[in-house]
Amino acid sequence: MTTPPQSGQEPDTHVPAEALMTTFEAPEPDAEVAGNGGKEGYRRKPGQFKEIWRRFKKNKLAFVGLIVVAILMVIAIINPFITPYDPTEQNLANTNAAPDGAHWFGTDDLGRDLFSGILYGVKLALIVGWSVMLLSMLVGVALGAISGYRGSWVDSIIMRSTDVVLAFPYLIGAILIVQVFGNGIITVIVALVVLSWPTAARLMRGSTLSLREAEYVEAARSIGASDSRIVVRHILPNAIAPTLIFSFSHIGVAIVAMASLSFLGIGVPADIPEWGNLIADAVPYLKIDGKSHLWVFPSAAIVITTLAFAFVADGLRDSLDPKLR
Amino acid sequence: MGKFIIRRLVHAILVVIVATFLIYLGLFILGDPFSSSGEKTIPPDIQDALRAKFGMDKPLIVQYLTYLQNMFTGDFGIDFEQRRDVSTMIGTALPNTIRLAFAAIVIELVIGLLAGIIAAVSQYTFRDVFVTVITTLAIGLPVFVIGIGLRSLLSGEGIFPQVPRSFTVEVPWWQEIILPAFTLAIVDAAFVARLMRGSMLEVLRADYIRTARAKGLSERRVIGRHAFRNSIIPVVTYTGVSLGALLGGALITERIFEYQGVGYLLVRAISQHNNPVIVPLVVFAVLVFIVMSTLVDILYAYLDPRIRLH
Repeated sequence: MTTPPQSGQEPDTHVPAEALMTTFEAPEPDAEVAGNGGKEGYRRKPGQFKEIWRRFKKNKLAFVGLIVVAILMVIAIINPFITPYDPTEQNLANTNAAPDGAHWFGTDDLGRDLFSGILYGVKLALIVGWSVMLLSMLVGVALGAISGYRGSWVDSIIMRSTDVVLAFPYLIGAILIVQVFGNGIITVIVALVVLSWPTAARLMRGSTLSLREAEYVEAARSIGASDSRIVVRHILPNAIAPTLIFSFSHIGVAIVAMASLSFLGIGVPADIPEWGNLIADAVPYLKIDGKSHLWVFPSAAIVITTLAFAFVADGLRDSLDPKLR
Repeated sequence: MGKFIIRRLVHAILVVIVATFLIYLGLFILGDPFSSSGEKTIPPDIQDALRAKFGMDKPLIVQYLTYLQNMFTGDFGIDFEQRRDVSTMIGTALPNTIRLAFAAIVIELVIGLLAGIIAAVSQYTFRDVFVTVITTLAIGLPVFVIGIGLRSLLSGEGIFPQVPRSFTVEVPWWQEIILPAFTLAIVDAAFVARLMRGSMLEVLRADYIRTARAKGLSERRVIGRHAFRNSIIPVVTYTGVSLGALLGGALITERIFEYQGVGYLLVRAISQHNNPVIVPLVVFAVLVFIVMSTLVDILYAYLDPRIRLH
């Protein structure tokens, strides 16, 4: 089996195989199909992205979602420059103050500026959301593809491990992992990845299985392409859409899950202005007049963020694979 | 069918064994309760004596089997905080959680199914768009935002009891259950409505629906009898799984409304690092979840025979 790095060096290793493919396959009746699977794959890509983008743009809600996500990303990146106050700086002389000109969203129960805290929360939420998405997709795609392509005992082991993980209700499983390894952002990310890779792996396995016996894969195999090359070059690009859609729609779930954990006091340490922490801090003041800013602003931040990602995920689903509708 | 059920059960039992083992292993990593930590110093010989007394000097596999035996005979020991009997604590909390779970499921099914059917029957009309918009928004709402919102707006008003409750006021259970049940039901109802709309639209295109209409059945009968029965299958699956999750304790909702169920018990136990309470509750939650998923799979295979072939 060739190692993955080799198949990663695209241009060099790529050309001779391509030449082989066309010369060998040309006289065959299936030449068109085989050619499409290997050669056209690269040439077609820009066009394909354009096509996806064209379909995506049609979905107004998804487009709005994308703009909001872009704004949130910018906020997350230039965070320290736009927060008017240090989000962790306490001012016990000015706690639970209502919104005014100096503190746009008011201050929390430790006198921290809520606006700065929520902007800081954007950064945390996006870091966790994207990391969970990328890592769970990486693990899920790799294991799912191996599982589906290899079959036999490898498949059994991987699938049985997904069964065990999926036997835990999402939040309970996350709590257990965070309890064991101590709270913190890294642990929360790890916990959420551990709980979400199985779904990604199952989706990937499913689509790999359906492609494994496809004619163009058989053609690639018949000209002597290695297993890793077949998986990475031929199966992966065609099989990844459902997993990608799942992982993307999981960003919102991960953000909410982190906030839920923090809200219960077991996620991000309580002194970090994370949205769930901010809302947990607001609980004692829920029924007190003039303190509603304590929960309304962080809640609005979570809702806007999750909705934006959900809309983009919907749009992505419709544009990546119209059949999945 | 029999073969399918047996295969599914064996599978569930294996998963239970591995999952409980992982929980036990996790507990081990959580730390040795008899080690010296901070100001608390325990001489090594006393540590050894304590370990011997509680059977923690035995090999891991023996300990695991003892723990398994205790879990399944309901012997959970006493908690770290107040030396209360853990079985009694869980015994008083469990009925509350079961009530809450079923109340939430009933609300979710009534709202979700009605909305889904109305949307599907009047596809592309105002009503359909309205349902679609509402469900899209509701799915994006995290449970704790709904809960916090409801508590801050409604608790203490009219029939809704004050949170936190005052010990002097007796509140009937149905009053206490309304807000948490709605909190849990809202997001799930949106999911049910979406599922129902989708599957109903698919079923309505089927030939046998055309046949039913062609032989002159009233629209009410076509929808209520033929279409409803065949389109409810995905909803059954979804509801079964969400019931399995709810019965294990609705941590966030119970915490927000300080509802005395197993979820709130677990939340408090976690903040106190009260392992003797955490472990049986987590095992219980996982067990209920596995049992419900297995039942749902079997029910699904029964309702839709095509699934057994896979």
